[in-house]
Amino acid sequence: MTKLKMNRRTLLGTGLAASAMSLATPGILRAAAYPERNLSVYIPTREGGGADRNFRAFSSIWKDKLGAEFEPGFYPGASGRVGYEIYMGKAEPDAYNLIFGNMGPEVLNWAVQAPTFDINDYFYFGRVDTDPGCAFVGAESAFQSIDQIVEEGKKRTLTVGTSRMAHPASIGILALGEATGAKFNLIPLSGGKNTVAGAVTGEVDFSVLTSGSVISAGDSVRTMLVFGENKVGDALDNAQNINDAFDMDLPEMLSSRAFGIHKAAADNHPDRFEKLVSTFNATFEDPALLESYVAARGTPEYLNRGGVEECGQFVKDMLELGERYKPLLTGA
Amino acid sequence: MGDAAIISTVFLETIGYWWVIIPTIFLGLIVGGIPGFSAANTIIILMPLTLAMDLQMGLVFMVSLYCAARMGAGIPAILVNIPGTAGAAATPLDGYPMTKQGRGQQALAISFVASSLGGLLTTIIAIAAMPLLARVGFYMHSVEMIVVMLFGISLIASIAAQDMLKGLIAGFFGLMLGAIGTDVVYATPRGTMGFLELYDGVPLIPALVGLFAVSEAFIIIEKRVILTKKGQEAMENPSWAATFEGVRDALTRWTHICWTSVIGLIIGVIPGAGASIASFVAYQQSRTFSKTPEKYGTGHIEGLVAPESANNGVTSGTLVPLLVLGIPGGATAAIMLVVMQYHGVSFGPSLFQQDPKVGYGMFIAMAVSYFLMILTIIPLSRYMSRVTTVPTIYLAPMIISFTLVGAFVPREYMFDMYLALAFGVVGYIARRTGYHVAAILIGVILGPLLETYFLRALKKSEGDIMVLFSSTLGNILWVALVVSLVLPIVFERRRKKKEIVIQ
Repeated sequence: MTKLKMNRRTLLGTGLAASAMSLATPGILRAAAYPERNLSVYIPTREGGGADRNFRAFSSIWKDKLGAEFEPGFYPGASGRVGYEIYMGKAEPDAYNLIFGNMGPEVLNWAVQAPTFDINDYFYFGRVDTDPGCAFVGAESAFQSIDQIVEEGKKRTLTVGTSRMAHPASIGILALGEATGAKFNLIPLSGGKNTVAGAVTGEVDFSVLTSGSVISAGDSVRTMLVFGENKVGDALDNAQNINDAFDMDLPEMLSSRAFGIHKAAADNHPDRFEKLVSTFNATFEDPALLESYVAARGTPEYLNRGGVEECGQFVKDMLELGERYKPLLTGA
Repeated sequence: MGDAAIISTVFLETIGYWWVIIPTIFLGLIVGGIPGFSAANTIIILMPLTLAMDLQMGLVFMVSLYCAARMGAGIPAILVNIPGTAGAAATPLDGYPMTKQGRGQQALAISFVASSLGGLLTTIIAIAAMPLLARVGFYMHSVEMIVVMLFGISLIASIAAQDMLKGLIAGFFGLMLGAIGTDVVYATPRGTMGFLELYDGVPLIPALVGLFAVSEAFIIIEKRVILTKKGQEAMENPSWAATFEGVRDALTRWTHICWTSVIGLIIGVIPGAGASIASFVAYQQSRTFSKTPEKYGTGHIEGLVAPESANNGVTSGTLVPLLVLGIPGGATAAIMLVVMQYHGVSFGPSLFQQDPKVGYGMFIAMAVSYFLMILTIIPLSRYMSRVTTVPTIYLAPMIISFTLVGAFVPREYMFDMYLALAFGVVGYIARRTGYHVAAILIGVILGPLLETYFLRALKKSEGDIMVLFSSTLGNILWVALVVSLVLPIVFERRRKKKEIVIQ
């Protein structure tokens, strides 16, 4: 057995190395122990809405995989801009702050009005669902079909409630107007609940909205047309896809809720980001997610996992769509 | 089982939850009284607890909290000029002057009785006339709501009566502040001065606590106590008699409680309208039809009864569109919708066929809560009113720190604390120079709502201003508005003529 020789130089070197290790250990452990505290999630809409319901259903399963709670903060206003501006301007890019947004209307917003930050400084990494927009009337409306609406729209300009001007569903109905010659006047009613209320109470002739929110409105409304595939059949009154009904070739007008993160957080803390992604994916593997969605009166048919690549493509498509319809959505 | 049988069964079951309702009432009073807290954010915070409860208990808990928080907001408004929520913004107009006169105990008792009876009455009306009330939203669209807003805004002119120029300047200043933020159609920022925190408009709670409470704290620090000399004498020997006097004052004005709470109920059932509109409109109407309009703002009992009855009338009103149409009438109703959906309840036209116990249960829980509030809260007015005897060297810093925290809570922005201080300075200057802070506040609260409905109506009509006179109900409301503006002038002239004749 070789005897360990310890001289002054070895002792000093070992001491230095041990000190360096001691100082570095908390950092190493911190990375390994991520998350060591709860995560803050910025939601750019009001509590009680579709994003709230969706977030709670998803995070109730994800939190067990990640080992930390998700604390939502609601920052509504200016068609979602407030939430994003606050997230990008005030939240630390440390992977403890995420944003849960709707890639449809909120990205469309960037095309209509550029934000103060560079939109490449954040990205979505976890798509939760894809939810086509739809056109619907109140339960007591005289309109019984989309054909009646189009015919009436050729005689007079119909008022159409929408949660915000820059919304995929708004583009869907404007495209229908272009294709059929019907005239539609978009009326922004500030949020999904008000948009449903507008159609139900007759403030507007009919409304367009994300179909998940329309489904949760129950029998107060009747769906007339879906701007994409009707995956839920009877829940949307078996309404037809716009392309089938009017022989059009419109891309699906989707809302898509997804978790986003600062680019700097993913770049500076790749280990944390990796854990977020892996646990996000594991959440989708868990059958409890479906149960959670059903319990929250969500629409499990719309659950649709997507990663960085799919989200990136969605964002690119939305920006292109926004550029195309910018004059109509801005009143320019 | 018939409706009557369901109602009586649910009533008995709800009474059985008294042990949930009573602690919740006290919790509601606390969260309602703290500026920035509300029933909505408390239900959100306690959501895991609510979801763990069975359906009926969760429902009873949320409804009791909602009612008590609404009533609780009036307590600091009366005692220290801090309205806990925008719905209580009209309460200090007459409540706080009563306190300064040493009648804080009476004012609290009046507020409690008006709130409880107003809430109880409108709940009963709501149960009886739910299908009818649900129709109100079908007729009150943007054009009609413009006129309703103008009813509230016309209060500026009433307040300005003592000094018309200063009153109108204050009102216009408030309306200009209310125009800050992104526009409701294209979300274009206006007057935000680069502050992100102003994109969603001037936040109400910092404006409210700044203009009323912080400026008041700056004023009262110049005195030893907030009470007048006469008030100090009155508060020297507190007794139950003052509480009974308040109860009697409120009960003798039962007709006033009835019709002002019905104003609250009707405004409450309109989706998107809320307690702030209702309390100002009720106050304005109360003043218009009063034989002594000049007493409003000086500690007049009707001036306290009207907003308190109305904002509790809104509470039952907001449940009507939720239950009958599936549309939440306000923020708290929206949170309740989420919780109830977790329990598998679907709101909307079929609710009363599928889950009649839930539908009636919410109103019964409300009625039982208001009834228990009468018994539990009124005796507290004697003790609560003692806060007014605290020397201002302690009270003023407490008010400032308390309200700054309140300004921070809703959005958790430091900016909102600075904004409350800035509004405090504005309020202080306004008071010292004879401008009425209430006129500024009415502009800040109702201005953005008026603009929203106005732009919506214009967008619907593609820019045709004549849309304002396009509906029959709207035109009737226009006439009523003109009448309510002209009537006080006619009454005033008559009164002066009479005085001349007598002389």
